[in-house]
Amino acid sequence: MPFGLTLPEPCANRGWKAKIRDRERLEPPHVTILYKTSAWRFALRTGTFLDKEPNPTEVPAEVVGAVRANLTLLRQEWDRMYPENRISTERKAKRKGKSNE
Amino acid sequence: MSDPLLLIEPHGHASRLFMRLAANRLRSESEIRSALKRHGRRALWIAPSSAAVHLLLGTFPRRPMGDQRLLSLERASDNRHGLLHALFRFVVSVDEGVQLLPMDELAEVLSSANRADLFIGAAVAPTDAAIILYRGNLEPLVVPLTWFREHPDGPIPDPHDLAVTDFGQTIRLGAYEAAADALLYEFDEDYRRRAKKRQVETDRSLGGALRRLRLQKGLRQGDFPGVTAKEIARIERGEVKKPHQHTLTAIAKRMGVSADDILTY
Repeated sequence: MPFGLTLPEPCANRGWKAKIRDRERLEPPHVTILYKTSAWRFALRTGTFLDKEPNPTEVPAEVVGAVRANLTLLRQEWDRMYPENRISTERKAKRKGKSNE
Repeated sequence: MSDPLLLIEPHGHASRLFMRLAANRLRSESEIRSALKRHGRRALWIAPSSAAVHLLLGTFPRRPMGDQRLLSLERASDNRHGLLHALFRFVVSVDEGVQLLPMDELAEVLSSANRADLFIGAAVAPTDAAIILYRGNLEPLVVPLTWFREHPDGPIPDPHDLAVTDFGQTIRLGAYEAAADALLYEFDEDYRRRAKKRQVETDRSLGGALRRLRLQKGLRQGDFPGVTAKEIARIERGEVKKPHQHTLTAIAKRMGVSADDILTY
C-alpha cells in the first residue's frame, strides 16, 4: 500500500500529494511530491530536494513545511516499505561513528 | 520539442473533452491533407470519436510519410485495428483493452512538454506475464510483472485491476502503486541520463552507481556468484576504484546489464 502524507487542506484540494509508492527508485530514499504532471523528489536523509528540475520553488511552502514536519514519520514509512535500504540503521551508525571520533 | 498534436474534429463532432488542449483542430479532408504536408515528419493524431477515425481513414489512401502516431478514443463498431496499425507507426486505442487516464488528466498530459515521460494508458499483455504501458508520445513499454516487487506486509500487485493515475506518474495494480519515474529510470537509458542531469548532487562514482543499480534490482551484496559480499561492499564504498574486468563482467551479468552500463545508473 503506498503511503500518502496528509497535506494541508488548501493544497490537497488543489491536487498536491506527497507519496511513497510501493515501487520507487530505491536510492536515495525519498518522498515524491506530485502536482498534476510534475513531480519533485524530496530526500528523506537530508531533508532537501533531490532535483534541480522541476524548480523546487514551485512547491508551496505549506507543502514543504508539512513534509519537513513529518520527516520522522516518512522515514519510518520508508524503512517499513524498503527494509533492504533502510534510513534509520544508517543514521544510527553515522551518529555512533561521530561519537567515536 | 514535443510533436505537434493534430485533433480530428469532423463538423458536428467537436469534442468538449479537449477544449483546452493546444492542438491543431482539423475538420475536413483538405485540412487533414494540408496538416500532413506541414507535419509530414512526425505528428500525434487524436481521434476522439468514431467519426474522426472514419474521416482520417478516408483521407489516408496509403501509409503516410514519416512517423505518424494515432490515439483513438472511442470504441468502433467495425474492426479497423489492422488498418490503423498498417497506416500509423504507433496506435493506442481503447478498442484494444487499453485503460486510459481519465479524460481531463489525459488532456493535461498530452499538453505537457514532458509527455513522453508520462504514461497515458496501460493494458495487460496477452501472456499475462507483462503489462504494456503507453507513454504520452504513444510509444509502448513492455514491463514484466516480476518488476513490480512486493515488500513485506505490502499489497500484491494485481494486473487485473490496472490503471494509470496521478496524471501519468503512477501505475496502479490493485492496491499496489509504482512510480513512473522508477520504471523509466530502469527501462529507458535516455530518461536515466536526463534524470541524472536533473539531480542536484549525484555520487558519480562506480560504487554509487553499483549500489543504486543493485538496490533497484533487489539484490543483496551476497547475491553475486564469483564475487564476495565483502568485495561488493568495498567497491560500493569506493575502496576499490577500478575492479578487475572479470569482476565487473560478473557483476554486470548478474544484474542483466553490460559492464559499461553500470555507470549510467
